[in-house]
Amino acid sequence: MPKAMNERGITINSASPQPLGRSRIDWIGYVFIGFFAVPFLLFNVMPILFGVYVSFTEWSIIGEPKFIGFQNYWEALQDEWLRRAFLNVVLYALIIVPGVVVLGLFSALFVHQKWPLSALARTILFTPNVVSATVIGLVWVWLLDTQFGLLNHYLGLVGISAVPWLTSVQWSLFGVSIASVWWDLGLAFVLLLAALQDVPRELYEAAEIDGAGRVTQLRFVTLPHLRPTISMVVTLQIIATMRIFSQVYVMTNGGPAGSSLSVIVHIYQKAVVQNLLGYASAVSVLLFIAIVAVTLFQRLLLREMPRG
Amino acid sequence: VAEVSRRLRQCIPGTNLALRDVPIWLAGMLFVIIWGAPFVWMVSTSFKPSAQVMTKTIEWIPRDWTLANYQKVLSQYPIGTWALNSVIVAVVSTGLCVFFGALAGYALARLHFPGRQLIFLIFLGSMMIPPEVGVVPLFIAFLRLGWASTYQGLILPTIANVLSVYIFRQFFLSFPKELEEAAIVDGAGAFKIFFKVAWPLARSPMIASTVIIFTLNWNNFLWPLLITFDEDMKTLPVGIAAFAPVVGSHTQLEGYAVAMAAVTLLCIPSIVLFLVLQRQFIQGITIGSVKG
Repeated sequence: MPKAMNERGITINSASPQPLGRSRIDWIGYVFIGFFAVPFLLFNVMPILFGVYVSFTEWSIIGEPKFIGFQNYWEALQDEWLRRAFLNVVLYALIIVPGVVVLGLFSALFVHQKWPLSALARTILFTPNVVSATVIGLVWVWLLDTQFGLLNHYLGLVGISAVPWLTSVQWSLFGVSIASVWWDLGLAFVLLLAALQDVPRELYEAAEIDGAGRVTQLRFVTLPHLRPTISMVVTLQIIATMRIFSQVYVMTNGGPAGSSLSVIVHIYQKAVVQNLLGYASAVSVLLFIAIVAVTLFQRLLLREMPRG
Repeated sequence: VAEVSRRLRQCIPGTNLALRDVPIWLAGMLFVIIWGAPFVWMVSTSFKPSAQVMTKTIEWIPRDWTLANYQKVLSQYPIGTWALNSVIVAVVSTGLCVFFGALAGYALARLHFPGRQLIFLIFLGSMMIPPEVGVVPLFIAFLRLGWASTYQGLILPTIANVLSVYIFRQFFLSFPKELEEAAIVDGAGAFKIFFKVAWPLARSPMIASTVIIFTLNWNNFLWPLLITFDEDMKTLPVGIAAFAPVVGSHTQLEGYAVAMAAVTLLCIPSIVLFLVLQRQFIQGITIGSVKG
């Protein structure tokens, strides 16, 4: 296993700490954990279990739940909008994940050179990551405005006619994706930058003595070392994209005609607008299963791959 | 030829930028400038008189500067109330999360009791579960409890963020044992050791988890959107989202200048916090994300 992974990876099997005091077991540990564990159980774990139950019921905000078995799931399978939403999430991932990973990798390689102004570059590249979806959404709604937006203005200078980024069925998903890449780049960038700093200097020196050029070094020294981090970034970004909600809500609210609808926007609309809480819970469970499946598949894929 | 290539490899004095790398450097900096441009455009628009916003030419620097958009946003919309709500929710949530996380992280790293590893694995595993999965059931439960549009409704679900436990556990794993042993000899109990020895020395995980979790809470969107029905109980991101043309009608009424003034105000706290504590912020994010 590469060293970079070990150094910053988890240490589950760390040596047992020495017990404090005279007793062999620090029973007080449960009290320490308890402060966190109580809200954790109540607000993180219970809702998921409760949600599985709700998904088997018909429930609107007023009134009592009615147990209806698998009917919500059956309906979900036939829900055209949901199919559209899942398909859109795949499309979002196909645009956003490569966008974030490739630009993040280039940014990290660039900043890592420590050329003039690299600290400023690092700050600017990461900053979009710390602002709220409302900022991202509104700024990009303005930038992507068909008539007066900045992007179309500059595209117009090179002869490309105005693109209706957010108001057309063909472009809305792409428009939201641009904003999402801008928002998400920072995380991938800093993780890759940290990994670059872990590559041993000697390897580059050795490669240089062997007469390896810059591209060869990148291919045979840098990229193999970054591989675990790149695959982690890909996994994180896929999961983040499957959960895409806030920027969609602010920029297009899933429209026009469902062209930028995501699964969680669909859940939100079912739960809040249409009051179908049982159905919305069933969709949540399906999304959860999809995310777990993707995560496990990724792990499996990584295990199968020979490590560089 | 050899002479030229040697020259090209030489660094520009005072920098580590070789002459042959100047084109790459320029291209990189151009990308960085493009990346920062949306913020400049946002701020620039927010200071423009509304008649100069929707123009055919691009004016990066406003012809006439005005504070009218800020005045409008502050006087016609309950920004102050939303900001107060955001501050209350983010401060209380973050404070509790960091403190409880420190206690749990300390116990997981330093105390010896059955099930310790299992509890940690459960916490860690839960980080894989997207919080959105529990949102609808939580929404039902809180409606039933009458907690819609209340502070407890906004705060409680955000307390148990495993990230803080994780950051503190990593820190306390490498905490020198000698520091605790002196206190044990004095007969101090675990809580006393925690408060007298461990907590005061845990400055770095405290800052890292505070900046990250504060930013997450400050920017939190889906849950406050669901649980607040009263205009007066909204948080800033949810309140200001109504400036989006698909959400509310503010922008149709006021134009983009007012919306940009609103989002400029909204992003100031998290950007300032990030700029001031950049190193700790990035460090914490890196520790938190690399979970195996």
